[in-house]
Amino acid sequence: MTGPETLLPGNWDANRQAVVSAAAIAVPLAVSIAARGSALLVPLVLTIGLAVLWHLVFARLRGRSSGWDGIVTAMIFVVMVPAAVPPWQLGLALSFGLVLGDLVFGGRGRGFLSPAAVGLAFLLFSFPASEAAASGTATAISAIVGGALFLVAGILSWRVVAGFAAGMVGLALPWDLAGGWPGLPEATLILGLVFLVGDPVAAACTNAGRWVYGLLAGVLVVLLEHAGGGILSSVVFAALLASIFAPLIDQAVISANVRRRARRQRHG
Amino acid sequence: MEFRFRKGRDIDLGPGPSSGPAASRVARAVGLTARDFPGVTFDLRVAEGEKVRRGQPVCVSRHHPEIAFVASISGRVSQIQHGARRRIETVEVVAEGDNETTYAVDAAQSDDGALRRLLLESGDWAAFRTRPFGRIPDPSGRPSAIFVTATASTPLAPDPAQVLGPQLDSFRRGVLAMLRLTDGPVFVCQAPGPLLIEPGERLRVARFSGPHPSGLSGTHIHHLWPVSSARSVWQIGYQDVAAIGELLASGKIATHRTISVAGPDLGSPTLVRAPLGADIADLLGTGHPDDDIATARLISGPILTGRECRFLGRHDLEVTVLVANAQTRHAPSALGRLLGWLPRATPGATLPSEAFERLFPFDILPVPLMRALAVGDVETAERLGSLELVEEDMALLSWRCPSGSDYGTLLRRVLDTLDEKQVQ
Repeated sequence: MTGPETLLPGNWDANRQAVVSAAAIAVPLAVSIAARGSALLVPLVLTIGLAVLWHLVFARLRGRSSGWDGIVTAMIFVVMVPAAVPPWQLGLALSFGLVLGDLVFGGRGRGFLSPAAVGLAFLLFSFPASEAAASGTATAISAIVGGALFLVAGILSWRVVAGFAAGMVGLALPWDLAGGWPGLPEATLILGLVFLVGDPVAAACTNAGRWVYGLLAGVLVVLLEHAGGGILSSVVFAALLASIFAPLIDQAVISANVRRRARRQRHG
Repeated sequence: MEFRFRKGRDIDLGPGPSSGPAASRVARAVGLTARDFPGVTFDLRVAEGEKVRRGQPVCVSRHHPEIAFVASISGRVSQIQHGARRRIETVEVVAEGDNETTYAVDAAQSDDGALRRLLLESGDWAAFRTRPFGRIPDPSGRPSAIFVTATASTPLAPDPAQVLGPQLDSFRRGVLAMLRLTDGPVFVCQAPGPLLIEPGERLRVARFSGPHPSGLSGTHIHHLWPVSSARSVWQIGYQDVAAIGELLASGKIATHRTISVAGPDLGSPTLVRAPLGADIADLLGTGHPDDDIATARLISGPILTGRECRFLGRHDLEVTVLVANAQTRHAPSALGRLLGWLPRATPGATLPSEAFERLFPFDILPVPLMRALAVGDVETAERLGSLELVEEDMALLSWRCPSGSDYGTLLRRVLDTLDEKQVQ
């Protein structure tokens, strides 16, 4: 509920957060458009249109105003999706992600999954031929820029990023130094970390939990890649699995916190 | 003991009051407001139109008639406002004459029971708040500790060290009286600097520094003496302690407090001495064009937790004057400027973010607590530590949260439910 009067307007609201997210994903999106030209425009228009449509439908159904975060989901989806996917598959997968990953729970902040990750997972499951995602140094750098903006805005948690890096490096280094990770990680990997794994709604919501969650996601990416998945499917399914475990991680952190505070009181 | 916090956020609303003697203000009217005392139902002891002396009980608490609420000026009861179910909401006293009540304080110097009776009948008992729940304590209760809060981290608040400068003797006498109300320790929480009082066996001094909320008693209690349903403490402000010290010395009640009157739109912030519950418009003094004052929003209390009302709140030591909606004086970042024009979103769900942890210097998990409060899950909220908090502790989280929820109000509901359960 809202107070009777707001003397000092808060400095954040859902619209601001959506616009900052859109700005962060717009950087890699622009690089992709520059690289792939107008081939990307049709999917972009299609997915944004779909996202707006679904949000309006659910706003109507629930009698609430709709947020802007669907557009961000669509942009993330377009940047990460493989190039050769036909539009109907795109539309189907994104609709699945938006509706079952987010809107059925009541919209952003009420679900526990990243809708873009759900949509991508659906796409990779249903139409397995499509791999080969965004790549190239320029995209990788632009993804880092977007991630930096996210970090500064406080949307992306540095603990998730650090945990993720630790998980990947810790598992991958002893496993195969020879196969090795090139100097700059794949663009898809960075995009997945920033926009799928790092989605604050999907991630754990306690500081200790964020470390564990990031670590889990990093380990899962390496494991899935070794099991033979491509980089895109590894990142997407790692993000999905990790976010399914995030509430459990948070519960463990909460019980530890409750126990610690109870102990403090006995001795204090 | 020294505590330095990094978590929190100072809200910059321009310069606070300068160091100088406080100007004296004559309040033409004062009000006793029931909203300042959650959980209390007033029973009248005077009638409308009756003359009252300074220090004369105007109301008592229905459930504990020993607890008196006294007139802070000499005058005439001009108006009694009733709210829902004929509950008394405000008793207004208009200044008239100069009669005051004196108390026999000799017995209270040594006898603990007499000290309690003196505090109860002089109205100073209402200065205490319990934690958990933030209510006036039971007259027979003995807290496990008492916290004297001599810190201020809210924007535009008066500096306690400066205010206490001339009243240090009274303050120390008051703190020593606190020791006789509990068997446990008395904590004096102050900012870094010279000690306000020499620590003793049960008297402990702790220094707190860092951004807001490092000056709130909730933060101090959490770090020094965490409370629960089984252990409660009392908290009291530094000026109330000094007032008790003065009462013990002279037998006259000290109803004046040093208040800062400031605001981003007010040219010169000032310190003023004014009676409890003073009409806020009287505190501004002369020299302000009437138009400005007529349109200004006068807020009793700090910007984050204050409210717009006619009379100064019982525990408020600052009046924030706003001509329009407050804008912080932070140099807006490029991002902030860019986002300024965006329309505001309608209130929605809590969006978790690391930023909440950075504002919350408690070993309490902010996002799970906010979610529990938002859905009204009393049991989880209690488990997560809501008993350690009151409304003001949640203010920064409400300010930062994109959902637009007021977690202070939500917390109060949870606390009320828990309190009822405890009584049963």
